Amino acid sequence: MSVTIALAGNPNCGKTTLFNELTGSRQHVGNWPGVTVEKKEGAYRKDKDVVIMDLPGTYSLSPYSAEEIIARDYIVKERPDAVINIVDGTSIERNLYLTVQIMETGIPMVVAMNMMDEVESRGDRIDCSRLSELLGVSVIPIVARTGKGLAELMEAAVREAKSGRRSEGPHMFDHELADAISAIGRVFGNEDADENRWMAIKLAENDEIIGRMVPEDKKEAVQLLVDRANKAAGGDAEAGIADSRYRYIGKLVRECVRKSGAGHKETRSEMLDKILTHRVLALPVFAGIMYLLFACTFSENFLFVPGLPSPGVWLAGIVEDAWGLAAGKVIGAAQGLGASGWALGLVSSCLDGMGAVLGFLPLVLVLFLLLSFLEDSGYMARVAFVMDRIFRHFGLSGRSFIPMLMGFGCSVPALMASRTLESDKDRKITMMITPFMSCGAKLPVYAMFAATLFAGSNQTAVVFSIYMLGILAAVISAWILNKFAFKNEASNFIMELPSYRIPTLKSVLIHGWEKVKGFAVKAGTVIFASTVLIWFLSNFNFGGMCAMEESFLAAMGNGIKWIFAPLGFGDWRACVGVVTGWIAKENIVATFGQLFGNVSEETVEAVMAGEQALPAIEEVFSRSSAYAYMAFNLLCMPCFAAVGAMKREYGSWKWTLRAVGFQMATAYVAALVINVIGSMIV
Amino acid sequence: MPLAMAVKGETRTITEFKGQEEVRRRLQDLGFIKGETICVVGENAAGMILMVKGVKVALNRGLAHKIMVAD
Repeated sequence: MSVTIALAGNPNCGKTTLFNELTGSRQHVGNWPGVTVEKKEGAYRKDKDVVIMDLPGTYSLSPYSAEEIIARDYIVKERPDAVINIVDGTSIERNLYLTVQIMETGIPMVVAMNMMDEVESRGDRIDCSRLSELLGVSVIPIVARTGKGLAELMEAAVREAKSGRRSEGPHMFDHELADAISAIGRVFGNEDADENRWMAIKLAENDEIIGRMVPEDKKEAVQLLVDRANKAAGGDAEAGIADSRYRYIGKLVRECVRKSGAGHKETRSEMLDKILTHRVLALPVFAGIMYLLFACTFSENFLFVPGLPSPGVWLAGIVEDAWGLAAGKVIGAAQGLGASGWALGLVSSCLDGMGAVLGFLPLVLVLFLLLSFLEDSGYMARVAFVMDRIFRHFGLSGRSFIPMLMGFGCSVPALMASRTLESDKDRKITMMITPFMSCGAKLPVYAMFAATLFAGSNQTAVVFSIYMLGILAAVISAWILNKFAFKNEASNFIMELPSYRIPTLKSVLIHGWEKVKGFAVKAGTVIFASTVLIWFLSNFNFGGMCAMEESFLAAMGNGIKWIFAPLGFGDWRACVGVVTGWIAKENIVATFGQLFGNVSEETVEAVMAGEQALPAIEEVFSRSSAYAYMAFNLLCMPCFAAVGAMKREYGSWKWTLRAVGFQMATAYVAALVINVIGSMIV
Repeated sequence: MPLAMAVKGETRTITEFKGQEEVRRRLQDLGFIKGETICVVGENAAGMILMVKGVKVALNRGLAHKIMVAD
């Protein structure tokens, strides 16, 4: 008989580490229905009949966020066979607040006392067997990182699950309050039934969701009793209940935890925070760390050594070479089989399209491994705090910074990272402006224009100014959206700053891989489909196969070029570039290579790297219109892969289309202003 | 006085919370309840870092203005 065991605990309590240790690689990651909160389940490594469900990290079972509602609905309605509640032993008092709330539901449970190695190294002691006696549930000391105690933990959890023994709710309320709560329970029948007891506590706590579930004919009776509970608690039953829980926990801690008598020693975490959250030093230190992060990923001259590739660039080179070799073999084989010209064209453009994605994969991988490291170490929470100071001015919380930062690498995982934002408004705005952060794929486009049209001037400054333009557009957009579309104040910033920990290699790898995998699958499918479509449109017209100048695509470009005329690039080839850019932004260069003089693939690569100019584009672009074109492609709809990610995260086409519409409008206005002002100056 | 007026290194006791129900509930979940002593361990222009029940929690100043404390 299979049993289901749910993992519940505070954020940062080591829940994910425990889950990974228990399930190994046999995990299934999905979403909870209707919301973009990750749902993870997996089979226990040592017993396939035990299914382990990872609930979102929560501080309590009150309905404050989507995560909490999911966790509590799962425990109360789906009723797993048992719950393992992970408690961070280094902050036991706060963590037990969730423990007593889970106990109130009456579900069979086991407490996993985690981080016992850190507790010991601080010289503290936690008496788990005494705590177990007082709570009436098993308390097992573990160290999730090393796997210590996990066998005992699972044995206890499975035993509880099979026995179905309900945990007795602790007696922690004052006499009068407890009476009022029992009376509320009686309204629904047997006051001892787990469900009724839990509902009674929630009703006394003035929980809106549970309040709505009370049948009409019982509402009045419940309201009277809730008033009684309020009176018993001195006016506010919710505060009274929270207070009772904390007082009860205080008693437990006094009895079971022995702090080392050595007085307060400054921990490593506190020393690090002195610098990393310092009121002056925090920002420059952060800028330095970010610089290193990007250097490791994108730099062609790593650590200022000319020609030394960074780990990311080096890996990307290897993958590109391997793909080129494999693609050549495939084309060769197809030729050998006597494939017709159009079939060869289709195959090679598909291979190129996929190669473009594969070439980016190593960069994304390195970036995400490093970001995962920073996230798991606890530093990202500090970054959010430090950046909150700046973001608050534009109506966003500092938490929006992390997705935007990732946007410089690739919008797809950046959009996925926005799901960690608590406020719905922040999430919606952040997703609209994240694609304004110039992603890695847009750089070749700037390189092409810089080498061709800005050859005489400071090319680096030109490219840098485009990046700045993206940040500026994001900031102004956030401000405007906040002021006029959402009409809201900046949301509050409340965030736990967990102790710094060196993440395990395993957790960083799993964490990073999850993100890259999503990116590869999404990008692979969307890019593949759209490559085929564009290939068809650019090689066919109603008469069959044709030259690109006579294709459907050219006809479409000619049809829409009037739209772009005010921006300075009313040319069909430029329009086609915008469209192919939606497949992948660096496609613009390949398209231009084909449309402006049919140059070879080597030339395209040199142009992408900014080593060679593409003089033919000077026929169409002036300096001001080239700058407008770069700005337009920076700000307009991101690539299809990113739009797909937006759709997934917004969960609706309505919001996705709004976001794309907003981006298009921003791009058009920005490019128009640049072209008009630019042509006056130049 | 509001918590926002406390400076780094000071320890204060929470007396009252003046704000929305929702925010109060979240603070309560993190250990900010009446009678709890909290210590200011860090601050910058926009926010403060507080030690509450052995855990560091960062708040923006606007929120810290709504938490009343006494010596």
